[in-house]
Amino acid sequence: MNEKPSDIAGHITDELAACGVKLVASLPDNWLTGVIDALDRDERFTHIPVNREESAIGLCSGAYMGAMGSAALMGASGFMTVIYAITKINYTYEIPLFLMLTLRGGVGDHHKHHASNSLYLRPVLDAIDMPYRIIDQPGDVSSISRCYHHTRTFSRPMAVIFTRDLLRGSRP
Amino acid sequence: MKYLDCFRALARQRTDQIVVTSAGNSGQAWWAATRDTEATFYLDASMSLSTMFASGLAFARPELKIWAFMGDGAFCMNPGMLMVERQMNLPNLTHFLVSNRVYGATSNAGLPNVEKNDYAAIARAMGLDRVFELANLAALERDLPTLVAGNMAGHTFVVLEVEPFSDAEQKLEQPPFDGAELKYRFGRHIEARTDCDIFGYRL
Repeated sequence: MNEKPSDIAGHITDELAACGVKLVASLPDNWLTGVIDALDRDERFTHIPVNREESAIGLCSGAYMGAMGSAALMGASGFMTVIYAITKINYTYEIPLFLMLTLRGGVGDHHKHHASNSLYLRPVLDAIDMPYRIIDQPGDVSSISRCYHHTRTFSRPMAVIFTRDLLRGSRP
Repeated sequence: MKYLDCFRALARQRTDQIVVTSAGNSGQAWWAATRDTEATFYLDASMSLSTMFASGLAFARPELKIWAFMGDGAFCMNPGMLMVERQMNLPNLTHFLVSNRVYGATSNAGLPNVEKNDYAAIARAMGLDRVFELANLAALERDLPTLVAGNMAGHTFVVLEVEPFSDAEQKLEQPPFDGAELKYRFGRHIEARTDCDIFGYRL
């Protein structure tokens, strides 16, 4: 791991900008604070902190219908609350949606209360047939663009999932 | 006022606004009043996301005026949406809160705290400036043109106090679109109106 977390945030925002993303809706996760701060400072984006994760789904879906690129950023716990919104809006109307999540409960997570995400995040994604890609290494951040464009090609949601090692460094 | 009379009056006053409806009754009523097949996104049963969807659209297309309907049942599920709406403060967005004091889409089931819910006060407490309440047709006919005219300073929130659907009205036709068809009808209309490119290719 050669890049510092601050470098990773810049790398992620550059990838999003390269995709044409203009609007980012977020709810925080401690692992994401660096990314959120970077988005907030970056004039290439309008960053909208939202009241709950479902609101991010609505905002990004509406932005798509206005031809604006967008992304929803949230923790794993937040994602677990938006299954209905995604299946209702994005599956029913075939509206693309690009999500950036955290792999809470993964190796290196110090927080025991994420046991449920450890057990069920990926099975839930699989249960709704939602493609995802885990981004664990700085060199993999460039796959954000490919995943974003995948959502547009197939008119479906897709998530990239950031690990703790990527966002916070591989401290024990 | 009667729900359908209210929506027919809104339809008469509509000029070029793009519309997003909420679950159940507002979609049925708007379809009955307009039969709009292009410039309305009938967002079915999103459980409170019609105005967030409309906010994303309004933000992306500032040249369009957007009307978004939301029942008070949906509002009760997610009143914090107003914090986001106020933060964005989009001058081209009007949020119509259709207050029928029931969960209209589910056979007029009861709402929590229905007697005391003051939606306009909630909106003001969230910092919204342009908050209006229309409780009868005369007020709607008289005041709406001013409330939704162009060049507003920010986001507009209008509470429409209506009666719940009758049993017969509950049987009104739902907008008869499959999801993908609605997306393309609506999206092509937005493309034509704004010269934007939503789907990556133009017809």
